[in-house]
Amino acid sequence: MAGKPGERPTEEQTADALLERPGEPERIGPLVLERHVKDDGRALILYTHDRRARS
Amino acid sequence: MSDLRFEELRGEEVTYAIHRQDRTFLPSREHCPLDPTKPGGEPTEIPFPSFEIAVFDNRFPAFEAPKGAAEVVVYTEEHDASFATLSAERAEDLMWVWRHRYLELGAREDVDYVYIFENRGVEVGVTLHHPHGQIYGYPFLPPVARLELEADRRLGGCAPCALLRRELDDGQRTLIENDGAVVYVPYAARWAYEAHVVMRRHRASLLECEPEELRSLSIALQTLVRGYDALFDRPFPYVMAVHQASTAAASRPDADAAGQGHLHVEFYPPLRTAEKLKYLAGSEQGEGAFISDTLPEESAARLREAIARAG
Repeated sequence: MAGKPGERPTEEQTADALLERPGEPERIGPLVLERHVKDDGRALILYTHDRRARS
Repeated sequence: MSDLRFEELRGEEVTYAIHRQDRTFLPSREHCPLDPTKPGGEPTEIPFPSFEIAVFDNRFPAFEAPKGAAEVVVYTEEHDASFATLSAERAEDLMWVWRHRYLELGAREDVDYVYIFENRGVEVGVTLHHPHGQIYGYPFLPPVARLELEADRRLGGCAPCALLRRELDDGQRTLIENDGAVVYVPYAARWAYEAHVVMRRHRASLLECEPEELRSLSIALQTLVRGYDALFDRPFPYVMAVHQASTAAASRPDADAAGQGHLHVEFYPPLRTAEKLKYLAGSEQGEGAFISDTLPEESAARLREAIARAG
């Protein structure tokens, strides 16, 4: 699932782990990600359990 | 921006983040910056009326791009919850969040080591009570990670794998076992109720874990912290430290030993009794030599009883 220890994750691994598909929300495992930028420029990510995936 | 200085006598980096002197310190419950933002209310760090898990760049970062990262991980919108009281599903979701942050931060050239941790309790310096952890993306290999690599070399292979085998063979200090993880008080614990949660199979990082293993890890972690809270029937302070492989690029000429690792979570609780704290005093601070007044086998027996009591 991952590369050798000590190596940075490859783009392929990143894409695989995130299960990102064009036009669909970004996901990791059972979670859906929402990326935001706060007023002062800091990043904020909200992770929500995708209950639809289990139904 | 923080400044790094190398301390030659100990051979380690010291980080100066002087802007952190002004960080929010134990605000009243009504002014918790990690609560959701109430409609019409004062904006918090999370400008939404509801959320499950939130991660954001620390407002008072010890590290920031282009020299590392510092993030806050808010476990829940429930102000009075704790990692122990999260639902099993939420705790498992948190493992996926950790994994995602390891993946993203570890891919950055300015991050050599992704360190996920939680400080719980004012005894270990917590400044916000809302349940949360932190992540540092160190722009260097920190000293403990370096020591763990040295342990691998000393033992001729993965040190956590070897120590796990020793603990399972001995059995006196084992607290919890499931399919994916084992929890024990280490043979040479430095803190009275120190415990290590170790992946049963060799997994360098969260990225190598199967989904079932992430579930096993979350169950083992929650079982332990619920036992901690039951031990003295009070919220139990601890530092929770997630150790895994460095993400330093092996190809980068100036990268420190990009290396092996074995995903495990170490807990350092400062309490040695219900009311007494273990202080890092002369021997520990001056010479790095821990002196404990509690035998790990006796602590393990008490913790097993507390874990059983916590159910």
